[in-house]
Amino acid sequence: MAEVTLSNVRKSYGAVDIIHGIDLGISDGEFVVLVGPSGCGKSTLLRMVAGLETISGGEVRIGPRVVNDLDPKDRDIAMVFQNYALYPHMTVATNMGFSLEHRGGSKAEIAERVKWAADILGLAPLLDRYPRQLSGGQRQRVAMGRAIVRNPQVFLFDEPLSNLDAKLRVVMRGEIKSLHQRLKTTTIYVTHDQVEAMTMADKIVVLNGGRVEQIGAPLELYDRPANQFVAGFIGSPSMNFLNGTITAEGFAAPGIVLPLPAAAQVHTGRKAVYGIRPEHFALDENGVPAEIILVEPMGSETQVTMKLGETLATGVFRERVSLSPGATIRVRPDLDNVHLFAADGGQRLN
Amino acid sequence: MKAEFSPRRRVFLYGLLCVLLIPFVFPTWWMVTSSVKPISDIFAFPPQLVPERYDWTTYSKVFELQPFVKQYWNSAYIAALVTVGTMIVSSMAGYAFARIRFPFANAIFMVVLLGLLIPSEVTIVPLFQMFLKAGMVNTHWPLILVPIFGAPSVFATFVMRQFFIALPAELEEAARVDGLGRFKIFRKIALPLARPALASVAIFTFLHSWNLYLEPIVFLSSADKFTLPQALTQYTDAYGGPMWNIQLAAATLTALPVLIVFIIAQKQFVEGLAHTGLKG
Amino acid sequence: MAVVPQTARPEGRSSSSFWTVARRDSLAGFLFIAPQLIGITLFVLIPLCLVFWYSLHEWNVLANTFSYTGATNYQMLLEDPNLPSVLGATAVFSAGLVIFNLSLALLLAVLLNQKLAGITIFRTLFFSPVVVSLVAWTIVWGFLLQKNGGINGVLLVFGIEGPNWLREPVTAMISVIVVQVFKNVGLNMILFLAALQGVPNELYEAARIDGAPRFKQFRRITLPLISPTILLTSIITIVGSLQVFAQIAVLTQGGPGLTTTVLVYYLYQQAFQFHFFGYGSTLSIMLFAIVVVLTFAQWQMRKRIVFYES
Repeated sequence: MAEVTLSNVRKSYGAVDIIHGIDLGISDGEFVVLVGPSGCGKSTLLRMVAGLETISGGEVRIGPRVVNDLDPKDRDIAMVFQNYALYPHMTVATNMGFSLEHRGGSKAEIAERVKWAADILGLAPLLDRYPRQLSGGQRQRVAMGRAIVRNPQVFLFDEPLSNLDAKLRVVMRGEIKSLHQRLKTTTIYVTHDQVEAMTMADKIVVLNGGRVEQIGAPLELYDRPANQFVAGFIGSPSMNFLNGTITAEGFAAPGIVLPLPAAAQVHTGRKAVYGIRPEHFALDENGVPAEIILVEPMGSETQVTMKLGETLATGVFRERVSLSPGATIRVRPDLDNVHLFAADGGQRLN
Repeated sequence: MKAEFSPRRRVFLYGLLCVLLIPFVFPTWWMVTSSVKPISDIFAFPPQLVPERYDWTTYSKVFELQPFVKQYWNSAYIAALVTVGTMIVSSMAGYAFARIRFPFANAIFMVVLLGLLIPSEVTIVPLFQMFLKAGMVNTHWPLILVPIFGAPSVFATFVMRQFFIALPAELEEAARVDGLGRFKIFRKIALPLARPALASVAIFTFLHSWNLYLEPIVFLSSADKFTLPQALTQYTDAYGGPMWNIQLAAATLTALPVLIVFIIAQKQFVEGLAHTGLKG
Repeated sequence: MAVVPQTARPEGRSSSSFWTVARRDSLAGFLFIAPQLIGITLFVLIPLCLVFWYSLHEWNVLANTFSYTGATNYQMLLEDPNLPSVLGATAVFSAGLVIFNLSLALLLAVLLNQKLAGITIFRTLFFSPVVVSLVAWTIVWGFLLQKNGGINGVLLVFGIEGPNWLREPVTAMISVIVVQVFKNVGLNMILFLAALQGVPNELYEAARIDGAPRFKQFRRITLPLISPTILLTSIITIVGSLQVFAQIAVLTQGGPGLTTTVLVYYLYQQAFQFHFFGYGSTLSIMLFAIVVVLTFAQWQMRKRIVFYES
């Protein structure tokens, strides 16, 4: 297996820069998720590692080798594509063994490898079928089988679950994760879905506009987002933001003053953004007033859209309280989970 | 405009279709039946829709008067070579134009497309001179080389390009990751998937070559080199008038095999020619 | 962790600096198009230049003369007493062919688009002349159109004395048009049928709810939506009509008089029967110019008449 190192990697089409110098170290056996909104460059970055896009600047290493000028086939990587890219004219077994055929494996060797991979993924009964005879989840599994059969140094996944329905996505998420725990192969996984990123990754790389916003473990990103972009991107429903000023009395937002953690006092007088996740509001008699706009009961929890002063905010409450639009409730932000960001640039303050 | 019809409307529609069918089907019927009528009956009045007397000697005369077997073979092998050659040339070029990035690709494609705009009649005079200089007049080379490499194959290239453009890029990328080079991607991935398009190309190329008339009569001058369309018109009497029943027998022998293949594989023919569509 | 059967690792081949992926792809691209490109150069581009070069020469093969005469052939073209009737015949033939072909193709396509049992049998039969050898088809029609042939025989059964179709100016032209239309209308029919089937059914349902009668549905919905196909087929049919040769050669040999001598047939006669290669080349240039102008004009029209591009 291998580590993957990106140093100052750039990509430009003509005068347009798509990737602006990315540094990233991935250690052996790590599961790294590249996440970001569409157009952030995450797929391009993955394809540069794969060798499907040329590298305009910087260096990509797989293990000790610089692979910038190597063909995909010489990089010892395997890739799972968004639409699976199964060869429609070949059976499952041929699809899975195809790459080995071109690496000079003997027939028996290939059959053994294919069987090994098929057993892991529960594909053994499907080996003689054609891709069109398979369900979406099965195709997904064949695509994974095709990747693991070669025992490559690195797995690359390009939004592999985006074509599955919500239920199957959860199942396959689990399967990919347990496959990784079993094989311990270095994996780079691209998704736009932050839930996938949170649940699967050892390490998340949040990309935006071709730049890295933050690199860290899932909970690190959730607990201490480095900036307002990451704060808003990670977590669902997403974090509430209120614009205002830090004062001695608290955070003065339009029409309301919110309580601040004590440590925030060093920034008194500064314009800032107050961030609080929906799940970090508690119902409390002594809290701040909030007018209820919309109530959405989910069963396990209740999502409430409310007005904090003049700003709309979302709250999520586990308690079953009867709330109705127009009423005013009192809520208390959990001070340990209040995030403050600079009003200009959005960098974290506390 | 699909809707269920009342019985009266349905009868009307079937009737209309049958009447319209006459000029499409009757000539073929007339060709086959007249070819076995004795010469005295072919212009009989009233017209005999079914032959009253049969004269099968017309068919033996077809073979006696001209080297018809040789001519049949000429048409068949030329059409087969042209079909296979065109499939190779056009699938390669179509693939490159659709899939490979190389310098001047668009400019070269425009030049190639010029072939679509130039009826072969425009270039027949210089082509004749070129093949004359090369000593290839009254050989089959012009009928083989020009369709495979020249203007007629441009249309096939265009059809193949349209097909390859629609092929998902991911398949090729997967093949690259799996260790295939350009040529292997073409041969193992792209070409096997292009079978429907190749079938269309094969059908219209074969028909085109099988029907070619101007080129054979320009390039070929001896009877044993003739192709079928040219041979058909050669069954004439001493005054140059057509020997109708023999011409019709030869025409039947020319048309019927293709017609039978068509009836068997009509779905592939119709759909193949529909989606490439454009030449007859 | 499972015991993983090992496979050979690829060597870390450091690719030579010159043969980058892009360069190798360029080479592959050129190799792939080479046969076609060489063929086009040899059999289209060079002949096209030659035909222009020849057109500037007086060249009679029989007399073995080849001399540069500049624009003389073009002068001759303008003064050719036959040219007006040749161009007239070409125009009448093309216009008649296109109008008759497209309207019949559309009619057949609409009929075949109905929900009727056995409709594919009709489709097959209407299409069948397309695969019948062109010359064979023409010979049968020539036979049917004789003065004492099948068509006049049938007419006579009803007491009508038919004309000598191929020997009278007007009927000869009609005959060659009709024979050609029945031969190839199946192709356009199939293209129209595909286009008709591409019109979403909801549009017709909506129109029915809006109370539009059938012919209005056809005029206001069907025709606009299939207009790209109409344009495409008309271009193909017009360009194809300019190339019609075998039918004329077999049926009428351009006669009676010059009434069915279309440009291609005239070109063939001048070059290969009378051996005026120089003048034949000039006619070729004119044919090429006509095709280019017509194609260009029709593409321009696309912007005006096509309502909807799929």
